[in-house]
This record gives sequence, structure tokens and C-alpha cells, in this order.
Amino acid sequence: MTISLTVPDILVARAKSGDLDALEALYRAFETPVYHLALRLLRSPEDAEDVLQETFLEVVKSIPRYRGEGHLWGWIRQIAASKALMRIRRNQVRATEPLDEAAAGGHGSASVVPARIDLERAFEQLTETSRAVVWLHDVEGYTHEEIAELMGRTVSFSKSQLARAHIRLRQMLDAEGAGR
Amino acid sequence: MMHCTMEDLLALRAGEGTTWARRHLEGCAACRAEVEALYQRVAQLKALPARRPARDRWPAVRAALLAERRRRRGRWGLWSLAAAAAVAGLIVFRPIWTNRLDAAELARVKRQCATLERDLGRYDPDARVTSGSAAALAAALEDRIALIDGELTRLGPQTPARPAALVKLWQQRVDLMRQLMSVRVSRATYVGL
Repeated sequence: MTISLTVPDILVARAKSGDLDALEALYRAFETPVYHLALRLLRSPEDAEDVLQETFLEVVKSIPRYRGEGHLWGWIRQIAASKALMRIRRNQVRATEPLDEAAAGGHGSASVVPARIDLERAFEQLTETSRAVVWLHDVEGYTHEEIAELMGRTVSFSKSQLARAHIRLRQMLDAEGAGR
Repeated sequence: MMHCTMEDLLALRAGEGTTWARRHLEGCAACRAEVEALYQRVAQLKALPARRPARDRWPAVRAALLAERRRRRGRWGLWSLAAAAAVAGLIVFRPIWTNRLDAAELARVKRQCATLERDLGRYDPDARVTSGSAAALAAALEDRIALIDGELTRLGPQTPARPAALVKLWQQRVDLMRQLMSVRVSRATYVGL
């Protein structure tokens, strides 16, 4: 995904002052990356759209307090990730989904590994928690410490989730299961 | 042969691998292939196409923002209304309150003057020995009191629309009479010693 995430300072300044056109311009600039992030974490387009809306409601409300430290996308992404993870927690409470790959029973279970599939489908078959850890760490560049803080878990939880998710991905991607 | 675990491989990728894992990787083609596969998976994940939302959510965000602004303006509007009412109340009622206060103050300073007149009457300057300078000071004070009395007579007995000016004159009169009292009493006491 290659999208320019740089916006002019003047646009940010106008958005901070409450200018509706500037706020909409920010929405247009970041709607795709926010939606993409939310969709990767949540899988459901409806949930991802809801997160997009919640994220920008927060952005338009809080941007007067944005102090311009760091990249604007980093600030918006933090809000989006937080909203998406909140939704994952809500979904887990509703569906009592296991929090990790080991509990999901996927790890090392050759019988449930489907025939060769592409990475996107394999990724979508991970649990929501594992998807979130893989995406935030490997794609968005979050550290395990940052993920642990966002998820309200420990650093070792984040590390073990990432390792288990990669084992699962490898299994799903390797049709012969002869990786090792 | 023991191979690197996924934790080892991820740690190596992050530049945090153990010495054993680093040495093992140098001599193990299978583990090197695993690391390479790991890099490729991550690269492919990063290259996944961006999806766009099916619906435009900006109108909903905008509507919520405008509703919030209206609510806030409404709150400010109520505060502004209350503040305007308070200011209007001050403009309308302050003169009435002020006049009432001035009338009460006028009555009070007039009573003070009457008391001082009585007290001064007890100190008959003609019956007491006093110095020349004290007598001159007392005379000057009496002249100034006479000037104020003249001004009070000119204004007349009717309280004007704003009695503050009368109050001021009566307060000056009280002050002068206190000074006169001080001159007469202190000299009388001194001479009495």
C-alpha cells in the first residue's frame, strides 16, 4: 500500500481552527489508510467503516489539542488502532473468541491447514488478536511495547502472538507442510 | 539437529537474536530459508492492496461535528443570555440601589455632624486658655466649615436626584469638625495639666 500521507501544515492549522473544508480534506487524505488498517485488523468491512467513522469523530474533536509532535498520520493511526482494538475486545466478549492462536487450536495442527492459499486469505484466517499483532508489528512498525500498551497486555504476550501467528501463516501457506 | 524456533527467527530479524541463534543461522540453510520466507511474508503483507470503504462516512462525521457545535453554541447562548440579563439588571437597578445607599449614608453623616456639634459645644473656647497657633488653626477650620455650610445652603434642603454630592459635602464637614474637636480638646487638656 503506497499512499502519500503528508499533508501541508497550513491544512492542519486550518483544521485545528475548526475549518470544515480543511477537516474534510484531512478525512479524504486519511480515509483509505485508516479503513485499510481497520479492515486488516477486523476483517469485516462494516466494522472497518464504523472504526473509520469513530476515528474521524475523535480526530475532528481532538485536533485542536494535536500539538504537531510527530507525523499526523502517526497520531491518527494511533486513534484508529485503538478504536479497532476496542472493537476486537468487544467482539471477543460477545463471541468469547480465544485470545491467541494456541487457544484457537490452529498451531501445529496439520489436519486443519487448508490447501495452498494466498497470503491475504491466510492472514484473514488468523484470530483477530493475532491479526492485530502481526499487522501492527510487521506492517505498521509498532514495537512490542507499543502493542502491549495498546492491547493492555504484556510484551511477552505480543511476542508470543507474533511467533504463533507466523507459524500458523507458514503452515497455511506451505501446501506440503514441509517447511522444516 | 536443533533449529531456530520462530521466536528465534523473529528476534534475529529484529537484531536481537541470541549468540547461539546467530551462529546457527550461519551454518543452517533451512533456518536461513525460514528467515527469508519470513521477510517475504512481511513484504507481501505490506504490499497488499489498499481497500477503500464502500460508503462515504464523511457526511456522518460532519453531521455529528455540526450537531456538537450547535450544542456547544446552545450552552454558550444560555450563558450569554444569563450574562446579558445580569448586565441589564445592573444598568436598570444600580441607580436605585445607589440612590438608596447614598440617602442612607447622608442620614448617617448628618447624625455624625449633629453629635460633633454637641461635643464641640462642651468645649467653649472662650472659657479656656489656648495658644495663639491653636486659635489660628481653629479659626481656619471654622472658616472652611462655614464655606461648606454656604455650599449646602446653596444646594438647598431638597435631596437632589443623586445625593452623592451632598454626602461628599457632609463627609467633608464631619472631617473638619473632627479636626476642630481635636484642636480644642488637645489644647484644653494640655492647658488643664
